Amino acid sequence: MKWIKKHKLISSILLLLIILVLIFVISITAGKGSNPFTSALNGGNSSVSGVLSSFGGNLRDGIEGFISNKDLKSRIDKLEEEKADLERQLAEAKLEAGQLQQLSELSGLLNYDYTKEQFNVVSCDISLRDNSSWTGVFTIDRGEEAGIREESVVISGVGLVGKVCEVGKGWAKVRPIISENNKMSFKLIRDEAQLGIVSGNSKGGFEGYMFDPESSVAESDIVVTSGMGAYPEGLEIGKVTSVTYNSDRLIKEIVVEPAVNFISLRKVAVII
Amino acid sequence: MKYWKAGLIFLVAFLIQGSILNMISIGQSTPNVLLCLVVIFSFLYDKEMYGILFGAFFGLLYDVCYNYVYGPTAIAFLLVAVLVMLLRYYANIENTVSMAVVSLISFVTYYVLSWGLMKFTGNPVGLGYVMTKATPVIIMSMIVIIIMYKLMIKDVVKYHKDRYFR
Repeated sequence: MKWIKKHKLISSILLLLIILVLIFVISITAGKGSNPFTSALNGGNSSVSGVLSSFGGNLRDGIEGFISNKDLKSRIDKLEEEKADLERQLAEAKLEAGQLQQLSELSGLLNYDYTKEQFNVVSCDISLRDNSSWTGVFTIDRGEEAGIREESVVISGVGLVGKVCEVGKGWAKVRPIISENNKMSFKLIRDEAQLGIVSGNSKGGFEGYMFDPESSVAESDIVVTSGMGAYPEGLEIGKVTSVTYNSDRLIKEIVVEPAVNFISLRKVAVII
Repeated sequence: MKYWKAGLIFLVAFLIQGSILNMISIGQSTPNVLLCLVVIFSFLYDKEMYGILFGAFFGLLYDVCYNYVYGPTAIAFLLVAVLVMLLRYYANIENTVSMAVVSLISFVTYYVLSWGLMKFTGNPVGLGYVMTKATPVIIMSMIVIIIMYKLMIKDVVKYHKDRYFR
């Protein structure tokens, strides 16, 4: 007590630090979820900063419009949206082609009322992103009113982006897939029978292994989600950049470069 | 400077950090204005605790709005503010070079702390990747902090170029 009275500044700093560490530990262990306070804060920040962001974006587009071609920019945006939609259709088509036959046979055999699994996408703009942060977390301009939930999968025209980690009315926060340590099942687009597991690595990409040690996986192979686990089937994860055989573990290890350039993202789609 | 004025400056920085500041991004990187404020306020004002108090508060708000866990930015800001306050005893606050050196040490410390804390959340990204991403941000933040320093030093130390002024 005497020491605390004598060192008020150090005691105050230590107390503040302890409080912050407790908040940090609780937020890791208990998970965040949305509570009214954080939801209101995020909503407020999204509204105020969203207006500023939109103003800044418009101004920047205007300036860039003089330098480059603005029509070209809007065309690229439109094409990105179309590509995201095509990605979804491709995933559905793969489900249909490969599995419909088996499922219909099964449904006939078991007299099972099979209803085709479907997912819709909601197109969103990135409303808030701090480019000085390395974590890559960003906020989108649609939220629970559009059917977006926590853990909803986020894609872009190029491939898998990440998951929604927090959602409120008119906003949702997205955590990029490269910042997650979770294992993700994949298959090669060239040969869908070749499966494996990848997870985020230290270089902002993915690394993992093939289930079959004699897999023919090679550099430049495209890997997509297999449909097992949290992600729908057929979403592009990235391109294989390195293949090595681990003789100790008797597996083929691979390194995958993400398909999505997380920094240049402007529009995304959320699977609901 | 009064507390409310310092708080207002931090609030404006917080609001523009993820929005209007992206307009001046070069190579998709923007200066970390909140961090610049934490460093400069801790460096220039030793009696008031602007850097520590507002750093912790706005760091926490930043985590709520721009991060997937609460606390790492607030803790990193707080520790950086303490570090700057320790470094200022060895630096001449009226010298731009001192400001630049202290800010460089602080920025690097911030990103190392931030990476270390995020490791607890299971983020697989390595320090090399973080520093690669942070390098342009640090360079831009250094430019911003020098401009801020030139503007603020006149209010903090009057006639700061006059070595005989007391």
